[in-house]
Amino acid sequence: MPAWVSPVASYLAGGLRTTALLAVVSIVASVVVGILLGTLLTLPSRAVRAVVRVYVEIWRGLPIIIILFFIFFVLPIIGIRVDTFVAAAVGLSLWGSANMAEVVRGAVQSVPRGQAEAASALGFSWPSRMIHVILPQAARRALPPLIGLVVNLTQQTSLAAVIGLLDILEASQRSIERLTLAGGGGHAVPILTAVLLVFFIICLPLTLLSRWFERRLQ
Amino acid sequence: MILASGYHFQPDFIFHHLGDLGTGLLRTLAISAIGMAGALAVGVVLGALAALRVPVVRQLITVYVEVFRNTPLLVQIFFLFFALPETGLQLSGFTVGWLSLLLWGGAYNVENFRAGFEAVEGGYVEACRALGFPRMAAFRQVALPLGSRIALPSVTNILISVFKNSSFMIAISYPELTETAVNLVAVTFRVFEMFLAIGIIYLGLVWLMSLGTQAIERRFAIPGGH
Repeated sequence: MPAWVSPVASYLAGGLRTTALLAVVSIVASVVVGILLGTLLTLPSRAVRAVVRVYVEIWRGLPIIIILFFIFFVLPIIGIRVDTFVAAAVGLSLWGSANMAEVVRGAVQSVPRGQAEAASALGFSWPSRMIHVILPQAARRALPPLIGLVVNLTQQTSLAAVIGLLDILEASQRSIERLTLAGGGGHAVPILTAVLLVFFIICLPLTLLSRWFERRLQ
Repeated sequence: MILASGYHFQPDFIFHHLGDLGTGLLRTLAISAIGMAGALAVGVVLGALAALRVPVVRQLITVYVEVFRNTPLLVQIFFLFFALPETGLQLSGFTVGWLSLLLWGGAYNVENFRAGFEAVEGGYVEACRALGFPRMAAFRQVALPLGSRIALPSVTNILISVFKNSSFMIAISYPELTETAVNLVAVTFRVFEMFLAIGIIYLGLVWLMSLGTQAIERRFAIPGGH
């Protein structure tokens, strides 16, 4: 193996740790906030739905990269300083929670109306109707798109490199630049292939799992 | 208007740079349009080949789809722009722009169309075959029109994502809308105005597209579901 491989590999591994941490933080925040907002979207109150709808449409409609720039460059001018990791985590979570809210709303609304009507005829209040009847059924339907969102968020963490976070992609770029400056080109193919491979190994099993759940639903 | 840290909000700044932003927007629209049209064509053709279970071709399509769906678009863009030149293939920013969007969107649309074609009830195709239609004709006359209509909502979703993801080309400094805006920010420091402006442009276009696709979906919805 050429001499450059081992230092580059350990540098990329450091970047991968940041990528993994960013993915976990954004996925957890997106799922928690998204379930809350998605449930609000199924409330009878028009006013509540309208407010949540605005949040969902804005953060789902914007390209993620614009959201990241917005948080990274605009928050400081209103006096809030954020580092690249926090900016990336907040941006990905805004985007992810808006998408998760849609997943939850879709799943809840796919449960046949008769279920809620029967529960309400039996005297269940709205919260217990949701907890005991609707959500358990909706959860099964939400699982495939939820896994899809996890895969999507994991891949989108790579955008943090654009605002300068030292994730696996930024680490690969810096390695390629350093090796080129040191007088040897021709490292971009192996290094970027390695980055593609890392994401592929993480994402493929999740994609297959999502497909398996989807088939089981039918 | 003065914000908390003494930042003066100057909306007329945006109007002074409408020309630059317009040029950037045109490039965004150009790579998006080619990427969307290509992703649609790749999706229909390869989706049909996958659904028809053409041997070998089908396995190759699966490899293409899984590789592009399970790796980040941004890394794919980097590979096309920074790694391919090492193999002797130098692509311009514009080419990488539409090509990466086409390959990425195409992979998702292959899956969408394949699923749509396979969701067409077997009985229809069998009836066609019983009436003496050759296999290809049965596919073209029955599975293709019905399956495309089933696939339509997920396909239009991906096409809108292709448009939004054209902003990724900032990573290779291709001067589309986002790159243009960030460059203007670097020279003028009008951060707030600039991101507000392009945020509104992107959101407006995305909303227009989803209104348009909703109208198309209603027009082509299969009566009574499928």
